[in-house]
Amino acid sequence: MSGSTYKRVSGEAVEYEVFARKARIDPLHLVGSVVAPDADLAMAYARATYDEERWCEMAIVRKDDVIRLWAPGEA
Amino acid sequence: MPSSAEFDQMIKSGELIESTSEMTPEYLRELKHTLVVSGDTELISAPAYYLAAKRAPSINAFMTGIAIIQDELAHAHIAYHILEELGEDQENLIFSRDPKSFRYPYAFDVPLETWTELVVANGFYDQAGFCLLGDIHDKCSYGPWKRGLNKVMLEENFHLRNGRTWMKRISASGGAAKDELQRAVDWMFPLSVEWFGLPDDKKMHSTQLEYRLKGLTNDQLRQWWLSTVVPYCEQIGVKVPAHKETRDGKDVWELDYPFPCEFDAEHKRWDFEHPSTWDDVLARWRARGPRNAEMVAMFQEEFHNFRKAHHQES
Repeated sequence: MSGSTYKRVSGEAVEYEVFARKARIDPLHLVGSVVAPDADLAMAYARATYDEERWCEMAIVRKDDVIRLWAPGEA
Repeated sequence: MPSSAEFDQMIKSGELIESTSEMTPEYLRELKHTLVVSGDTELISAPAYYLAAKRAPSINAFMTGIAIIQDELAHAHIAYHILEELGEDQENLIFSRDPKSFRYPYAFDVPLETWTELVVANGFYDQAGFCLLGDIHDKCSYGPWKRGLNKVMLEENFHLRNGRTWMKRISASGGAAKDELQRAVDWMFPLSVEWFGLPDDKKMHSTQLEYRLKGLTNDQLRQWWLSTVVPYCEQIGVKVPAHKETRDGKDVWELDYPFPCEFDAEHKRWDFEHPSTWDDVLARWRARGPRNAEMVAMFQEEFHNFRKAHHQES
């Protein structure tokens, strides 16, 4: 089990990072994450959970697909 | 794992902690405890508000109530997901714990039965949440939680506005509606004052303050709450048992009743003639109030039904 896989009653679920921005001038930034069994549900969860703004763009990415060069404290 | 001297230095420098590899076991334990209180409080507000939201006076008002409940569930999700990243089992935390072990303020155990009580809860309880979480948002040393609270603060502000707008409208309408508002305020005000916990002179030491999991003491948070709620209630013509005094050139909010004192949960009545001790209050909190088991069952039962059905299918 990798660091971003979690157990749910319906089986295994993975973590997706949620990115969004309010205006075209803004950079896309991390607003949170969701844990879902597949990308379709992850999209639904992201839309329902992070609805605090009228985002002009929202995107999700599997956390495992993020390639980290270094973490805080490692630079 | 950092040495405890390295860790202390990091906390003192104001730097954010970003992962378990940067924590001491004591910090991790205190962080988890603080997150459980926050997650449980957000989660239980959903069934607590739902009972009253069903009594909304219009479809629009009902939609607002439901939107608030949906926000609270998302806030709970943020806290529980951080706990999950810290190694806790989220489903166990929410669905398999004993109702009495949930760590939310006692106030939510007293049923909110009318729309009026719901809007006072938005005005008082969400204000308490706003003070507590605003302080954490401002001071918290754990990066993921500090960032997660951006969304929470925006939305708590909206809940508070719903509470205040409705309280003002009900008060202005006068008559029986205003009497009902005053009755709700009479029992909900002291419950919210109690929300912030033991007074500073009873609480010897705060690990949460030491680890910068919060920045203000219980009494400082209580004063902050009083400084927003009391003037607002006075402004809209609602009586509250507290007043402002000036001491050493500073505004201090004083309660007009013995704190703590006896509370009859069944009749939603405070007995200002009968002061109690903090041991009595702690015993009442630990025993939990009227709706505890029912509210926890609302989400736990459905989960176990789902699990049963799911296991039969597969």
